[in-house]
Amino acid sequence: MIRIAFAGKGGVGKSSISGSFARLLARRDQPVLAVDSDPLPGMAYSLGIPVDDRPTPDDVVVEGPEGGVRWVLRPGLDAAGFIDSYATPGPDNVQYLQFGNTWGHVSTLQRGQHAWSQVVKEMDPSAWNVVGDLPGGSRQAMFGWAKYADVLAVVVEPTAKSIHVARQLRNISNATWAPAHVVVVANRVDSPSDVERISDALERPVIGVVPNDPLVTEADKLALSPIDHRPGPFVNAVEQLVAVAESNYDLDKRERTNEKP
Amino acid sequence: MKIAVVGKGGSGKTSVSGVLARSLARSGHSVVGLDCDTNPNLGLSLGVGDLETERLLSLRDQIDEGEQEHAHTWDGILEAYGTDSPDGVRLTVVNRIDNPEPD
Amino acid sequence: MLSSVPESDTVIVADLEAGIGTLTRLPEASVQSTLVVVEPTPRSIDVGLRAALVATERNQGHVTIVANKIANQDDDTRVRNAFADHDVVTVPEDRVMITADRRGSSPIDVDPEAPAVTAISDIATQIVRSGIQNAK
Repeated sequence: MIRIAFAGKGGVGKSSISGSFARLLARRDQPVLAVDSDPLPGMAYSLGIPVDDRPTPDDVVVEGPEGGVRWVLRPGLDAAGFIDSYATPGPDNVQYLQFGNTWGHVSTLQRGQHAWSQVVKEMDPSAWNVVGDLPGGSRQAMFGWAKYADVLAVVVEPTAKSIHVARQLRNISNATWAPAHVVVVANRVDSPSDVERISDALERPVIGVVPNDPLVTEADKLALSPIDHRPGPFVNAVEQLVAVAESNYDLDKRERTNEKP
Repeated sequence: MKIAVVGKGGSGKTSVSGVLARSLARSGHSVVGLDCDTNPNLGLSLGVGDLETERLLSLRDQIDEGEQEHAHTWDGILEAYGTDSPDGVRLTVVNRIDNPEPD
Repeated sequence: MLSSVPESDTVIVADLEAGIGTLTRLPEASVQSTLVVVEPTPRSIDVGLRAALVATERNQGHVTIVANKIANQDDDTRVRNAFADHDVVTVPEDRVMITADRRGSSPIDVDPEAPAVTAISDIATQIVRSGIQNAK
Protein backbone atom coordinates (compact mmCIF):
# COMPACT_ATOMS: atom_id res chain seq x y z
CA MET A 1 0.00 0.00 0.00
CA ILE A 2 1.13 3.51 -0.80
CA ARG A 3 0.51 6.52 1.42
CA ILE A 4 1.35 9.70 -0.42
CA ALA A 5 0.48 13.36 0.12
CA PHE A 6 0.97 16.09 -2.47
CA ALA A 7 2.05 19.57 -1.38
CA GLY A 8 3.23 22.74 -3.09
CA LYS A 9 2.45 26.36 -3.86
CA GLY A 10 -1.18 27.03 -4.78
CA GLY A 11 -1.70 26.62 -8.50
CA VAL A 12 1.31 24.39 -9.27
CA GLY A 13 -0.92 21.43 -10.13
CA LYS A 14 -1.21 19.50 -6.85
CA SER A 15 -4.89 18.77 -7.28
CA SER A 16 -4.56 17.80 -10.93
CA ILE A 17 -1.69 15.45 -10.17
CA SER A 18 -3.04 13.95 -6.93
CA GLY A 19 -6.50 13.33 -8.35
CA SER A 20 -5.13 11.80 -11.53
CA PHE A 21 -2.67 9.71 -9.50
CA ALA A 22 -5.55 8.35 -7.42
CA ARG A 23 -7.55 7.43 -10.52
CA LEU A 24 -4.63 5.74 -12.25
CA LEU A 25 -3.64 3.80 -9.14
CA ALA A 26 -7.23 2.62 -8.78
CA ARG A 27 -7.14 1.40 -12.39
CA ARG A 28 -4.37 -0.96 -11.35
CA ASP A 29 -6.92 -2.77 -9.22
CA GLN A 30 -5.86 -1.03 -6.05
CA PRO A 31 -8.24 0.18 -3.32
CA VAL A 32 -7.71 3.95 -3.15
CA LEU A 33 -8.80 6.46 -0.56
CA ALA A 34 -8.43 10.00 -1.92
CA VAL A 35 -8.27 12.61 0.85
CA ASP A 36 -8.67 16.32 0.18
CA SER A 37 -7.82 18.54 3.12
CA ASP A 38 -7.71 21.77 1.17
CA PRO A 39 -10.37 24.21 2.39
CA LEU A 40 -11.05 24.98 -1.27
CA PRO A 41 -12.19 21.96 -3.31
CA GLY A 42 -9.62 20.91 -5.91
CA MET A 43 -9.20 17.16 -5.93
CA ALA A 44 -12.84 16.48 -6.70
CA TYR A 45 -12.46 18.08 -10.14
CA SER A 46 -9.48 15.95 -11.09
CA LEU A 47 -11.08 12.82 -9.65
CA GLY A 48 -14.11 13.40 -11.84
CA ILE A 49 -16.51 13.73 -8.92
CA PRO A 50 -19.15 16.47 -8.84
CA VAL A 51 -17.92 19.02 -6.35
CA ASP A 52 -19.48 18.38 -2.99
CA ASP A 53 -19.29 21.09 -0.42
CA ARG A 54 -20.25 18.69 2.32
CA PRO A 55 -17.45 18.21 4.81
CA THR A 56 -17.81 15.50 7.41
CA PRO A 57 -20.18 16.57 10.19
CA ASP A 58 -18.91 17.81 13.54
CA ASP A 59 -20.41 14.95 15.50
CA VAL A 60 -18.07 12.32 14.10
CA VAL A 61 -15.79 13.04 17.04
CA VAL A 62 -16.51 13.46 20.72
CA GLU A 63 -14.34 14.52 23.64
CA GLY A 64 -12.06 11.72 24.72
CA PRO A 65 -11.55 10.37 28.23
CA GLU A 66 -9.77 12.53 30.81
CA GLY A 67 -6.01 12.36 30.35
CA GLY A 68 -6.25 10.76 26.95
CA VAL A 69 -6.54 11.97 23.36
CA ARG A 70 -8.73 15.07 23.18
CA TRP A 71 -11.05 13.97 20.40
CA VAL A 72 -12.00 10.43 19.54
CA LEU A 73 -14.40 8.95 17.04
CA ARG A 74 -17.88 8.85 18.54
CA PRO A 75 -18.94 5.57 20.13
CA GLY A 76 -20.04 3.07 17.56
CA LEU A 77 -18.02 4.67 14.78
CA ASP A 78 -14.81 2.91 13.82
CA ALA A 79 -12.38 3.67 10.99
CA ALA A 80 -14.05 1.31 8.53
CA GLY A 81 -17.46 2.67 9.45
CA PHE A 82 -16.25 6.23 9.02
CA ILE A 83 -14.98 5.55 5.54
CA ASP A 84 -18.11 3.63 4.70
CA SER A 85 -20.39 6.45 5.86
CA TYR A 86 -18.57 9.52 4.68
CA ALA A 87 -16.49 8.64 1.65
CA THR A 88 -17.99 9.49 -1.73
CA PRO A 89 -17.48 6.79 -4.38
CA GLY A 90 -15.96 8.06 -7.60
CA PRO A 91 -14.89 6.80 -11.01
CA ASP A 92 -12.63 3.72 -10.96
CA ASN A 93 -14.07 3.13 -7.49
CA VAL A 94 -11.84 5.73 -5.82
CA GLN A 95 -13.31 6.56 -2.41
CA TYR A 96 -13.15 10.28 -1.73
CA LEU A 97 -13.07 12.09 1.60
CA GLN A 98 -13.26 15.85 1.70
CA PHE A 99 -12.31 17.55 4.93
CA GLY A 100 -12.08 21.16 3.93
CA ASN A 101 -14.75 23.54 5.01
CA THR A 102 -14.77 26.20 2.36
CA TRP A 103 -15.68 29.00 4.69
CA GLY A 104 -12.58 28.43 6.78
CA HIS A 105 -14.26 27.95 10.12
CA VAL A 106 -11.36 26.72 12.18
CA SER A 107 -13.19 24.60 14.71
CA THR A 108 -14.85 22.47 12.06
CA LEU A 109 -11.56 21.92 10.27
CA GLN A 110 -9.89 20.92 13.51
CA ARG A 111 -12.54 18.36 14.30
CA GLY A 112 -12.22 16.97 10.81
CA GLN A 113 -8.50 16.74 11.30
CA HIS A 114 -8.92 14.87 14.57
CA ALA A 115 -11.43 12.51 13.05
CA TRP A 116 -9.04 11.81 10.22
CA SER A 117 -6.11 11.22 12.63
CA GLN A 118 -8.18 8.65 14.47
CA VAL A 119 -9.24 6.95 11.27
CA VAL A 120 -5.63 6.74 10.11
CA LYS A 121 -4.52 5.24 13.40
CA GLU A 122 -7.25 2.67 13.53
CA MET A 123 -7.72 1.66 9.93
CA ASP A 124 -6.40 -1.59 8.60
CA PRO A 125 -3.12 -0.56 6.91
CA SER A 126 -3.53 -3.15 4.21
CA ALA A 127 -7.05 -2.01 3.35
CA TRP A 128 -6.29 1.24 1.54
CA ASN A 129 -3.78 3.16 -0.47
CA VAL A 130 -4.09 6.78 0.67
CA VAL A 131 -3.56 9.62 -1.81
CA GLY A 132 -3.91 13.09 -0.37
CA ASP A 133 -4.08 16.65 -1.61
CA LEU A 134 -2.82 19.15 0.95
CA PRO A 135 -3.67 22.86 1.17
CA GLY A 136 -1.45 25.11 -0.95
CA GLY A 137 1.59 26.70 0.64
CA SER A 138 3.70 25.69 3.59
CA ARG A 139 1.87 26.68 6.75
CA GLN A 140 2.66 24.33 9.61
CA ALA A 141 -1.01 23.61 10.24
CA MET A 142 -1.32 21.74 6.98
CA PHE A 143 1.02 19.06 8.26
CA GLY A 144 -1.56 18.01 10.77
CA TRP A 145 -3.33 16.55 7.77
CA ALA A 146 -0.32 14.72 6.43
CA LYS A 147 0.53 12.42 9.32
CA TYR A 148 -0.65 9.38 7.37
CA ALA A 149 1.87 10.11 4.65
CA ASP A 150 4.89 7.90 4.09
CA VAL A 151 5.80 10.01 1.06
CA LEU A 152 5.48 13.79 0.80
CA ALA A 153 5.56 14.68 -2.87
CA VAL A 154 6.33 18.36 -3.33
CA VAL A 155 4.99 19.54 -6.66
CA VAL A 156 7.21 22.22 -8.21
CA GLU A 157 7.04 24.26 -11.42
CA PRO A 158 10.14 25.86 -12.92
CA THR A 159 9.22 29.28 -11.51
CA ALA A 160 10.92 31.28 -8.78
CA LYS A 161 7.73 31.48 -6.69
CA SER A 162 7.06 27.77 -6.78
CA ILE A 163 10.65 26.98 -5.87
CA HIS A 164 10.52 29.41 -2.94
CA VAL A 165 7.50 27.66 -1.46
CA ALA A 166 8.94 24.21 -2.18
CA ARG A 167 12.10 25.11 -0.27
CA GLN A 168 10.04 26.15 2.73
CA LEU A 169 8.14 22.88 2.54
CA ARG A 170 11.35 20.92 2.33
CA ASN A 171 12.75 22.76 5.35
CA ILE A 172 9.68 22.13 7.49
CA SER A 173 9.78 18.48 6.58
CA ASN A 174 12.97 18.03 8.59
CA ALA A 175 10.83 17.77 11.72
CA THR A 176 10.83 14.43 13.51
CA TRP A 177 7.20 13.78 12.66
CA ALA A 178 7.78 14.38 8.98
CA PRO A 179 7.08 11.73 6.36
CA ALA A 180 9.78 9.12 5.73
CA HIS A 181 10.34 10.33 2.19
CA VAL A 182 10.29 13.89 0.88
CA VAL A 183 10.47 13.87 -2.88
CA VAL A 184 9.78 16.18 -5.78
CA VAL A 185 7.45 16.04 -8.74
CA ALA A 186 8.39 18.55 -11.41
CA ASN A 187 5.34 19.94 -13.24
CA ARG A 188 4.85 22.10 -16.36
CA VAL A 189 8.30 21.15 -17.55
CA ASP A 190 9.42 22.42 -20.95
CA SER A 191 12.97 21.08 -21.07
CA PRO A 192 15.58 19.05 -19.17
CA SER A 193 17.09 22.27 -17.87
CA ASP A 194 13.83 22.90 -16.01
CA VAL A 195 14.28 19.62 -14.17
CA GLU A 196 17.90 20.42 -13.41
CA ARG A 197 16.92 23.79 -12.02
CA ILE A 198 14.31 22.26 -9.75
CA SER A 199 16.56 19.44 -8.64
CA ASP A 200 19.44 21.80 -7.84
CA ALA A 201 17.17 24.14 -5.90
CA LEU A 202 15.58 21.47 -3.74
CA GLU A 203 18.24 18.80 -3.36
CA ARG A 204 15.69 16.00 -3.20
CA PRO A 205 15.00 13.11 -5.59
CA VAL A 206 12.79 14.09 -8.50
CA ILE A 207 10.53 11.07 -8.85
CA GLY A 208 8.26 12.43 -11.54
CA VAL A 209 8.58 14.80 -14.48
CA VAL A 210 5.30 16.10 -15.84
CA PRO A 211 5.46 18.13 -19.05
CA ASN A 212 3.43 21.19 -19.98
CA ASP A 213 0.28 19.83 -21.57
CA PRO A 214 -2.43 22.07 -23.07
CA LEU A 215 -4.91 19.19 -22.70
CA VAL A 216 -4.86 19.75 -18.94
CA THR A 217 -5.89 23.39 -19.29
CA GLU A 218 -8.57 22.27 -21.72
CA ALA A 219 -9.83 19.69 -19.24
CA ASP A 220 -9.81 22.29 -16.45
CA LYS A 221 -11.92 24.69 -18.50
CA LEU A 222 -14.39 21.94 -19.33
CA ALA A 223 -14.59 20.84 -15.67
CA LEU A 224 -13.30 17.42 -16.65
CA SER A 225 -10.62 15.31 -15.04
CA PRO A 226 -7.56 15.13 -17.31
CA ILE A 227 -8.11 11.35 -17.13
CA ASP A 228 -11.58 11.65 -18.60
CA HIS A 229 -10.68 14.24 -21.23
CA ARG A 230 -8.03 13.06 -23.67
CA PRO A 231 -4.95 11.08 -22.63
CA GLY A 232 -1.80 12.97 -23.44
CA PRO A 233 1.67 13.76 -22.05
CA PHE A 234 0.29 14.69 -18.64
CA VAL A 235 -1.60 11.44 -18.16
CA ASN A 236 1.37 9.41 -19.41
CA ALA A 237 3.66 11.14 -16.96
CA VAL A 238 1.35 10.54 -13.99
CA GLU A 239 1.08 6.87 -15.05
CA GLN A 240 4.83 6.67 -14.81
CA LEU A 241 4.73 8.36 -11.43
CA VAL A 242 2.28 5.74 -10.18
CA ALA A 243 4.61 3.00 -11.44
CA VAL A 244 7.58 4.57 -9.62
CA ALA A 245 5.55 4.89 -6.45
CA GLU A 246 4.45 1.26 -6.61
CA SER A 247 8.02 0.09 -7.13
CA ASN A 248 9.69 2.24 -4.52
CA TYR A 249 7.17 3.27 -1.92
CA ASP A 250 4.96 0.27 -1.33
CA LEU A 251 4.80 -0.14 2.44
CA ASP A 252 3.87 -3.82 2.18
CA LYS A 253 6.92 -4.64 0.06
CA ARG A 254 9.12 -2.78 2.48
CA GLU A 255 7.81 -4.66 5.46
CA ARG A 256 8.14 -8.01 3.76
CA THR A 257 11.79 -7.41 2.96
CA ASN A 258 12.43 -5.70 6.31
CA GLU A 259 14.04 -2.74 4.59
CA LYS A 260 14.53 0.45 6.55
CA PRO A 261 12.46 3.30 5.05
CA MET B 1 -6.47 54.34 -0.75
CA LYS B 2 -6.26 50.63 0.04
CA ILE B 3 -6.72 47.86 -2.47
CA ALA B 4 -6.98 44.18 -1.50
CA VAL B 5 -6.14 41.58 -4.13
CA VAL B 6 -7.54 38.08 -3.61
CA GLY B 7 -7.96 34.88 -5.58
CA LYS B 8 -7.32 31.18 -5.79
CA GLY B 9 -3.68 30.13 -5.65
CA GLY B 10 -2.21 30.23 -9.14
CA SER B 11 -4.81 32.65 -10.49
CA GLY B 12 -2.16 35.32 -10.97
CA LYS B 13 -3.07 37.40 -7.94
CA THR B 14 0.52 38.22 -6.99
CA SER B 15 1.57 38.97 -10.56
CA VAL B 16 -1.41 41.31 -10.94
CA SER B 17 -0.62 42.98 -7.59
CA GLY B 18 2.97 43.57 -8.59
CA VAL B 19 2.21 45.07 -11.99
CA LEU B 20 -0.63 47.12 -10.50
CA ALA B 21 1.67 48.63 -7.90
CA ARG B 22 4.44 49.40 -10.38
CA SER B 23 1.96 50.97 -12.84
CA LEU B 24 0.49 53.20 -10.16
CA ALA B 25 3.94 54.33 -9.14
CA ARG B 26 4.82 55.13 -12.75
CA SER B 27 1.76 57.37 -12.97
CA GLY B 28 3.00 59.37 -10.03
CA HIS B 29 1.32 57.81 -7.00
CA SER B 30 3.07 57.00 -3.76
CA VAL B 31 2.64 53.23 -3.47
CA VAL B 32 3.19 50.59 -0.83
CA GLY B 33 3.04 46.88 -1.60
CA LEU B 34 1.89 44.82 1.36
CA ASP B 35 2.62 41.12 1.15
CA CYS B 36 0.18 39.35 3.46
CA ASP B 37 0.95 35.84 2.27
CA THR B 38 2.47 33.12 4.47
CA ASN B 39 4.70 32.43 1.49
CA PRO B 40 5.56 36.00 0.49
CA ASN B 41 6.40 36.30 -3.20
CA LEU B 42 5.21 39.81 -4.03
CA GLY B 43 8.80 41.01 -4.15
CA LEU B 44 9.40 38.89 -7.25
CA SER B 45 6.42 40.41 -9.07
CA LEU B 46 7.54 43.89 -8.01
CA GLY B 47 10.98 43.29 -9.46
CA VAL B 48 13.14 43.29 -6.33
CA GLY B 49 14.68 39.95 -7.24
CA ASP B 50 15.15 36.54 -5.67
CA LEU B 51 17.72 37.36 -3.00
CA GLU B 52 15.93 40.39 -1.61
CA THR B 53 12.61 38.52 -1.56
CA GLU B 54 14.29 35.73 0.43
CA ARG B 55 15.86 38.25 2.78
CA LEU B 56 12.50 39.76 3.63
CA LEU B 57 11.11 36.30 4.27
CA SER B 58 13.96 35.51 6.71
CA LEU B 59 13.40 38.83 8.42
CA ARG B 60 9.70 38.05 8.78
CA ASP B 61 10.51 34.65 10.24
CA GLN B 62 12.98 36.17 12.69
CA ILE B 63 10.34 38.62 13.86
CA ASP B 64 7.81 35.83 14.26
CA GLU B 65 10.29 33.83 16.29
CA GLY B 66 11.08 36.78 18.53
CA GLU B 67 14.63 37.15 17.32
CA GLN B 68 13.96 40.64 16.04
CA GLU B 69 12.25 43.60 17.62
CA HIS B 70 8.73 44.41 16.53
CA ALA B 71 8.23 47.88 15.14
CA HIS B 72 5.12 49.52 16.48
CA THR B 73 4.07 52.19 14.07
CA TRP B 74 3.10 51.92 10.43
CA ASP B 75 6.09 54.08 9.44
CA GLY B 76 8.31 51.99 11.68
CA ILE B 77 7.13 48.82 9.97
CA LEU B 78 7.75 50.25 6.53
CA GLU B 79 11.22 51.26 7.61
CA ALA B 80 12.24 48.10 9.44
CA TYR B 81 10.59 45.36 7.40
CA GLY B 82 10.50 46.90 3.99
CA THR B 83 12.58 47.30 0.93
CA ASP B 84 12.47 49.58 -2.06
CA SER B 85 11.23 48.25 -5.36
CA PRO B 86 11.77 49.86 -8.75
CA ASP B 87 9.68 53.00 -9.44
CA GLY B 88 9.80 53.75 -5.72
CA VAL B 89 7.24 51.19 -4.57
CA ARG B 90 7.91 50.37 -0.92
CA LEU B 91 7.41 46.69 -0.24
CA THR B 92 6.77 45.27 3.18
CA VAL B 93 6.05 41.74 4.34
CA VAL B 94 3.55 41.25 7.13
CA ASN B 95 2.16 38.32 8.94
CA ARG B 96 2.04 38.16 12.68
CA ILE B 97 3.25 41.70 13.27
CA ASP B 98 1.46 43.77 15.90
CA ASN B 99 -1.05 46.31 14.76
CA PRO B 100 0.73 49.64 14.54
CA GLU B 101 -0.15 52.41 16.97
CA PRO B 102 -1.03 55.77 15.43
CA ASP B 103 1.96 58.06 14.92
CA MET C 1 -3.23 45.27 10.45
CA LEU C 2 -4.41 46.60 7.13
CA SER C 3 -7.45 48.19 8.72
CA SER C 4 -5.36 50.21 11.17
CA VAL C 5 -3.02 51.72 8.61
CA PRO C 6 -3.71 55.47 8.48
CA GLU C 7 -5.40 56.84 5.34
CA SER C 8 -3.24 59.04 3.17
CA ASP C 9 -2.45 59.75 -0.47
CA THR C 10 -0.38 56.59 -0.57
CA VAL C 11 -1.99 53.72 -2.41
CA ILE C 12 -1.56 50.44 -0.58
CA VAL C 13 -1.77 47.29 -2.67
CA ALA C 14 -2.30 44.35 -0.32
CA ASP C 15 -1.62 40.93 -1.78
CA LEU C 16 -3.65 38.62 0.46
CA GLU C 17 -3.05 34.94 1.11
CA ALA C 18 -4.38 32.66 -1.62
CA GLY C 19 -7.91 31.46 -0.96
CA ILE C 20 -10.52 33.14 1.16
CA GLY C 21 -9.37 32.41 4.69
CA THR C 22 -7.71 35.78 5.22
CA LEU C 23 -10.59 37.59 3.59
CA THR C 24 -13.01 36.13 6.10
CA ARG C 25 -10.82 37.42 8.94
CA LEU C 26 -10.07 40.89 7.55
CA PRO C 27 -11.85 43.48 9.73
CA GLU C 28 -14.86 44.99 7.97
CA ALA C 29 -14.35 48.00 5.73
CA SER C 30 -10.56 47.66 5.72
CA VAL C 31 -10.15 48.62 2.07
CA GLN C 32 -11.82 50.79 -0.57
CA SER C 33 -11.35 48.29 -3.40
CA THR C 34 -11.14 44.51 -3.67
CA LEU C 35 -9.83 42.88 -6.82
CA VAL C 36 -10.85 39.25 -7.17
CA VAL C 37 -8.49 37.56 -9.62
CA VAL C 38 -10.06 34.68 -11.48
CA GLU C 39 -8.88 32.29 -14.19
CA PRO C 40 -11.45 31.09 -16.71
CA THR C 41 -11.78 27.65 -15.09
CA PRO C 42 -14.72 26.39 -12.99
CA ARG C 43 -12.40 25.78 -10.03
CA SER C 44 -11.03 29.31 -10.02
CA ILE C 45 -14.44 30.84 -10.69
CA ASP C 46 -15.85 28.91 -7.73
CA VAL C 47 -13.27 30.42 -5.39
CA GLY C 48 -13.82 33.84 -6.94
CA LEU C 49 -17.56 33.68 -6.35
CA ARG C 50 -17.00 32.89 -2.69
CA ALA C 51 -14.41 35.64 -2.38
CA ALA C 52 -16.67 38.22 -4.01
CA LEU C 53 -19.48 37.26 -1.66
CA VAL C 54 -17.34 37.57 1.46
CA ALA C 55 -15.84 40.86 0.30
CA THR C 56 -19.31 42.30 -0.34
CA GLU C 57 -20.71 41.03 2.96
CA ARG C 58 -17.79 42.54 4.85
CA ASN C 59 -17.90 45.92 3.09
CA GLN C 60 -14.47 45.64 1.55
CA GLY C 61 -15.07 48.48 -0.88
CA HIS C 62 -15.95 48.13 -4.50
CA VAL C 63 -15.48 44.56 -5.74
CA THR C 64 -13.98 44.20 -9.21
CA ILE C 65 -13.45 40.84 -10.91
CA VAL C 66 -10.17 40.55 -12.80
CA ALA C 67 -10.64 37.88 -15.46
CA ASN C 68 -7.04 36.75 -15.93
CA LYS C 69 -5.37 34.56 -18.58
CA ILE C 70 -8.25 35.08 -21.00
CA ALA C 71 -7.27 33.24 -24.17
CA ASN C 72 -10.43 33.50 -26.26
CA GLN C 73 -14.08 34.54 -26.35
CA ASP C 74 -15.21 31.35 -24.56
CA ASP C 75 -12.96 32.18 -21.64
CA ASP C 76 -14.29 35.71 -21.46
CA THR C 77 -17.90 34.59 -21.63
CA ARG C 78 -17.38 31.91 -19.00
CA VAL C 79 -16.18 34.48 -16.46
CA ARG C 80 -18.66 37.22 -17.36
CA ASN C 81 -21.58 34.81 -17.14
CA ALA C 82 -20.49 33.64 -13.72
CA PHE C 83 -20.10 37.20 -12.46
CA ALA C 84 -23.06 38.79 -14.18
CA ASP C 85 -23.69 41.13 -11.24
CA HIS C 86 -20.14 42.43 -10.96
CA ASP C 87 -17.75 44.72 -12.81
CA VAL C 88 -15.40 42.48 -14.78
CA VAL C 89 -12.13 43.61 -16.31
CA THR C 90 -10.04 41.42 -18.61
CA VAL C 91 -6.35 40.58 -18.71
CA PRO C 92 -5.42 38.55 -21.78
CA GLU C 93 -3.38 35.36 -21.70
CA ASP C 94 0.15 36.52 -22.35
CA ARG C 95 3.47 34.73 -22.49
CA VAL C 96 5.08 37.64 -20.61
CA MET C 97 3.55 36.45 -17.33
CA ILE C 98 5.01 32.97 -17.72
CA THR C 99 8.41 34.34 -18.72
CA ALA C 100 8.40 36.68 -15.72
CA ASP C 101 7.45 33.87 -13.35
CA ARG C 102 10.16 31.60 -14.70
CA ARG C 103 12.76 34.32 -14.31
CA GLY C 104 11.51 35.63 -10.99
CA SER C 105 11.06 39.09 -12.50
CA SER C 106 8.24 41.59 -12.74
CA PRO C 107 6.29 41.35 -16.01
CA ILE C 108 6.59 45.14 -16.34
CA ASP C 109 10.38 44.75 -16.52
CA VAL C 110 10.23 41.87 -19.00
CA ASP C 111 8.03 43.86 -21.42
CA PRO C 112 6.21 47.04 -20.33
CA GLU C 113 4.25 47.10 -23.60
CA ALA C 114 2.96 43.53 -23.33
CA PRO C 115 -0.85 43.25 -23.62
CA ALA C 116 -1.28 41.81 -20.13
CA VAL C 117 0.87 44.55 -18.62
CA THR C 118 -0.98 47.38 -20.34
CA ALA C 119 -4.31 45.80 -19.39
CA ILE C 120 -3.33 45.77 -15.72
CA SER C 121 -2.05 49.31 -16.00
CA ASP C 122 -5.46 50.39 -17.33
CA ILE C 123 -7.15 48.59 -14.46
CA ALA C 124 -4.91 50.47 -12.04
CA THR C 125 -5.96 53.81 -13.50
CA GLN C 126 -9.65 52.90 -13.39
CA ILE C 127 -9.53 51.65 -9.81
CA VAL C 128 -7.80 54.70 -8.43
CA ARG C 129 -9.96 57.13 -10.38
CA SER C 130 -13.16 55.59 -9.05
CA GLY C 131 -11.65 55.28 -5.61
CA ILE C 132 -10.95 58.99 -5.50
CA GLN C 133 -14.44 59.74 -6.87
CA ASN C 134 -16.10 57.51 -4.27
CA ALA C 135 -14.24 59.24 -1.50
CA LYS C 136 -15.58 62.65 -2.49
